[in-house]
Amino acid sequence: MASPPLTNTIRKLRFEHGEMTQQALADRVGVTRQTINAIELNKYSPSLEVAFRIASVFGAKLEDVFTYDGDEQA
Amino acid sequence: MSFREKCAWISFVLLVLLAIGMAMPGFLSGIDGLHYFLALLLGFALLQVLLRVIIAWQAPKDARTPKDEREHLIDLRATRIGFYALVAGVLLSMLLVHLHGNPWGGLHSMMLAVLIAWAIKFAGEIVYYRRGR
Repeated sequence: MASPPLTNTIRKLRFEHGEMTQQALADRVGVTRQTINAIELNKYSPSLEVAFRIASVFGAKLEDVFTYDGDEQA
Repeated sequence: MSFREKCAWISFVLLVLLAIGMAMPGFLSGIDGLHYFLALLLGFALLQVLLRVIIAWQAPKDARTPKDEREHLIDLRATRIGFYALVAGVLLSMLLVHLHGNPWGGLHSMMLAVLIAWAIKFAGEIVYYRRGR
């Protein structure tokens, strides 16, 4: 099965925010740790709401966290 | 493995065991068969509760966390697969009743179809959890 056409910088952003754990990010976003892991590994594309919440935790813009690669894959 | 994936494994394994129990000869024949069926159902329910309590006790925070959007999506997708299996099983059971003229056997096969559909639903959940979506 093809990966969703979204890539992200969550791993890098977590590192830059004091090695924030997946669980800590999950608690702040309001999802499970497994969901953060799936998003980070590009296995799952989050809803807009969750994407904005993740960006908000890092104080970043949505486009700094998520990149759409759909056109490149096509 | 997350709490909900463990729950899906528990339900899947117990449903398979229940289906095997239902496939035993003499099932639902006479009063002994009925007692056997009720004992199976009671054992199934008790084991479900007991095993879920044990895994919730091991990871209480995980168990208290409400389902998020990915888990809801997994649930919906697995339920859809289970629904198709249920429809196919019920139609097959109706066909068997028409072919063999045995309503008791049809009832039995419909119950089996319900169990198999549930097992397929939980198997789907496990596969989706393993995949991550």
